[in-house]
Amino acid sequence: MQGAVLFGVGVFQAILLLLAAPLYSGISRVIRAKFHSRRGPGIWQDYRDLLKLLNRREVIPAAAGLAFRATPYVVVVAMLVVAMAIPAVMVRSPVAPMGDLITVIFMFAMARFFTALASIDCGSMFAGVAASRETTMGVLNEPIMILALFTVALMSGSTSLGNIAAAIHAGRMPAYAATLMAMLAFGFAVFVEMGKLPFDLVEAEQELQEGPLTEYSGRSLALMKWGVALKQLVALTLFIGVFIPFGAAVALSPVALGLGVLILLIKLLFAFIAIAFVENTMARNQFLDVSRITFMGAGAALLAFALSLARV
Amino acid sequence: MPVLALLETSVALYTIGGAGSLLLWRSDAAATLFAGVTSIVAAILGTAASAQVLIDGTGPSFAAAGPIPFASFLLRFDPLAALLVLVISLVTLAASLYSLSYLREYAGKGIGVMGLCFNLFVASMVMVAVADNGFYFLLFWELMTLTSYFLVIFDQDNKAVAAGFLYFFITQSFSMLLMTAFLLLFIHTGSLDFSSFRAANLPPWLGSVIFLLTFFGFGAKAGMVPLHIWLPRAHPAAPSHASALMSGVMVKLGIYGIIRFAIEILGASAVWWAWTVVAFGAVSAVLGVLYALGETDIKRLLAYSSVENVGIILMGVGVGMAGIATGSPVLAAIGLLAAFYHTLNHAVFKGLLFLGAGALTFATSTRDMARMGGLARRMSWTASFFLIGALSIAAIPPLAGFVSEWLTYQAFFATGMGPDFTSRLFGPLAAVMLGLTGALAVMCFVKAWGLMFGGAARSEAAASAAEVPVTMLVGMGGLAVLCMALGLGAPVVAPVLSRAVAALRKSGAVEVADGTVIFPGDVHQAVLSTPLVAVVMVCLVAVPVAIAAMHRGRRLAPRIVPEAWACGYDHDARMTVSASGFVEPPDVMFRGLYRLRAMQGPVGDTLDGSVIVSTEAAGIVEPLWNRMAMWVATRGVPFIGQQLQVMEGGNLRVYCLYILAALAVMLICVVG
Repeated sequence: MQGAVLFGVGVFQAILLLLAAPLYSGISRVIRAKFHSRRGPGIWQDYRDLLKLLNRREVIPAAAGLAFRATPYVVVVAMLVVAMAIPAVMVRSPVAPMGDLITVIFMFAMARFFTALASIDCGSMFAGVAASRETTMGVLNEPIMILALFTVALMSGSTSLGNIAAAIHAGRMPAYAATLMAMLAFGFAVFVEMGKLPFDLVEAEQELQEGPLTEYSGRSLALMKWGVALKQLVALTLFIGVFIPFGAAVALSPVALGLGVLILLIKLLFAFIAIAFVENTMARNQFLDVSRITFMGAGAALLAFALSLARV
Repeated sequence: MPVLALLETSVALYTIGGAGSLLLWRSDAAATLFAGVTSIVAAILGTAASAQVLIDGTGPSFAAAGPIPFASFLLRFDPLAALLVLVISLVTLAASLYSLSYLREYAGKGIGVMGLCFNLFVASMVMVAVADNGFYFLLFWELMTLTSYFLVIFDQDNKAVAAGFLYFFITQSFSMLLMTAFLLLFIHTGSLDFSSFRAANLPPWLGSVIFLLTFFGFGAKAGMVPLHIWLPRAHPAAPSHASALMSGVMVKLGIYGIIRFAIEILGASAVWWAWTVVAFGAVSAVLGVLYALGETDIKRLLAYSSVENVGIILMGVGVGMAGIATGSPVLAAIGLLAAFYHTLNHAVFKGLLFLGAGALTFATSTRDMARMGGLARRMSWTASFFLIGALSIAAIPPLAGFVSEWLTYQAFFATGMGPDFTSRLFGPLAAVMLGLTGALAVMCFVKAWGLMFGGAARSEAAASAAEVPVTMLVGMGGLAVLCMALGLGAPVVAPVLSRAVAALRKSGAVEVADGTVIFPGDVHQAVLSTPLVAVVMVCLVAVPVAIAAMHRGRRLAPRIVPEAWACGYDHDARMTVSASGFVEPPDVMFRGLYRLRAMQGPVGDTLDGSVIVSTEAAGIVEPLWNRMAMWVATRGVPFIGQQLQVMEGGNLRVYCLYILAALAVMLICVVG
């Protein structure tokens, strides 16, 4: 019975994040406009954009095949699976058999695999370069994610994200400095994964014509855009749910869950505002130099691991 | 029918099939059919026999005196051997089905001989797995090398012959290490039976010497870095159904040897053995996939990726050894379970991918990925099967590769929780190497599938390619279904393999599955349910489909435009991502590990005398190890040869003296 309720919470989490994704990307756009001293389009604009695109006819290049057509669906599904599995509203993973840190990281890899595949498939040169970049970012970023999460997992004795969140929530981490350092490293990796400036390299709008999205149009573009927004939100929720689980529901009661939802949304809002400050004060990196910067993230994760070994 | 009889019938059928194929050499069709059908039946029998042993968790032995006085003919069909026989049989089954139409490509080139070599190759692999006596083990081991050598040089062109020579040279020189190890054990125990090897109470130094000899001896066959250089040349040179067996299965016998000797016979007694295995595994994994990424020849790419996967398996084996050496049974069980699982998985998806590569060569007559493109539309079945293989090898959930890599990660995690500092330090770091490998594998197989099947055709041959015949598709399709079954069926497969691990270690099986979930011995550490992931994914597809269906856009048929958008310029076929362009970022970022040699040749006319307007840059990514190994072969070997010439004066009496001296040394060894 409890399992079924938890599964329901997972489904609810997935729907919540799916529906909230355009809101947060809209908020990002508004803050960006403020930085530019513009009035901006308003926070609901991304919903209007999606609705408009869903009603448009698709235009598909002749070279595009199955991978191109399937990818918008795969990206959304992969991110919904992650959204169901991670601790977000609660201090535990609603669907624990999918909520292992390795499973979650490889679900992100799945989205990446198909995005890159579709980019090559459509035959556009911009998207082709983006495919190369997308997979390269995975190469640079996944080791940081794995080491940072492994560090906290080792300290909490489980690779299940829910158990890690519970250990942090209860203050059961044996080494605080290591936890903090792992949090910084993972935060960095999530920021890179979100593709915000200065790491806006895959969907680089001015440089690569939005990379993987170049050839998409109509409802496919709507789903792709939604998928990208969802991916950003889910990545950030993963970070908050594991490292800052405070305020999330412990008990499985309607009140606690409602409060958990509210606090999650507020935490996400603050996180998006903080990210807006970073992305709007930075210039884009040159792509081939980006490995030097991600190296810092890897260094931070390594430091966290060393601190955890020393139990500091 | 008892399992041993099944196995014997299976081996006999392979041999009959091979002999019959040779006798039918005049008719290509008859030879293909006879060799193919016998090996299909034999493979089914082998699968049945090994599946039964794996399910029972125990298997029979067979003993006969044999014609040779110092070596009795012993067979032992334990679960480890059964796992290998299962791997051999499954891939052989698919490859034989596939060969029924694939061999058309080799018409008139001696299919009868190929059938003989192929069937004897499979039979010798089965015998290597079950042989329980050092002499017969080596005999079948050499037969395996010899038959596969003939398959490598089958094309008879310079490249194939050179690859065959390198293969033969390296495997022969490293099987010397095995012979030395067997000889040392023989001296110590007075018998070549593995059972007496197991019972031997070796002094620690001798154990370490034998471990190193067998580790490198078998490691060369497994294609572990730095002994891998023959592998990316030899595997692609063979016909594709044989490549599938060499890359999917034969390398596993190297792994088998390491497990059999380091763990079962020598007892994995020292911790440094374990970390040596993990270190070689980690380096093989990262370098293997990095070099795979640099390839434009699909079969070479797959061969390098075998180096990577051997590395991943070795990492699991190493963790298992560390568990045994430090006395933690759960760690030992999970590490070995991961290794066993990945052994099975890799055979299936690498077999599938090699058969897919063969289908592409069959349809386009090229192995160069840059000359394919757009094949998903013309060969949709091959494209789908290859995609399943690519997703599996890139460890995308919930397919086969993901489950075994998940178990490997869990093994490293358990190592990181270990009691000693070495484990706590190196376990998680090895997991990071595995993460890097996984991300590079994603890149590698996105490139492979995307360039071959995606976009527009990049050559005449690719534009006119047609789907391959149905038996080839059935061979690939069977393996694709297995890729999914081994992923989704993890809760069923894992306990069976866990029992095989337990039989190897002669201890109780560690609990790894409950209902639809698997876990690494401890539910608190982690749980995974691949069936649940699959079901949830299938159900969630309804969400984007519903979103799309609820709006007007669905009623409007898509407009197909001839070309991708090129900022208002005319689209040109060359305006797509190229094989070398795709891997430029890692090329730059990992430059230290590559050595880039660019050959430039001017194409077309030049506008300015000093500026070459267009150059055709062919970037050949040349792994560093190759150069070093080639240096040894080109300089070192002749040098040693010159030194040795001093001994060969041509004087018969001096030669007699050598023989006498050798005899005296042998006598001293035997008596002393």
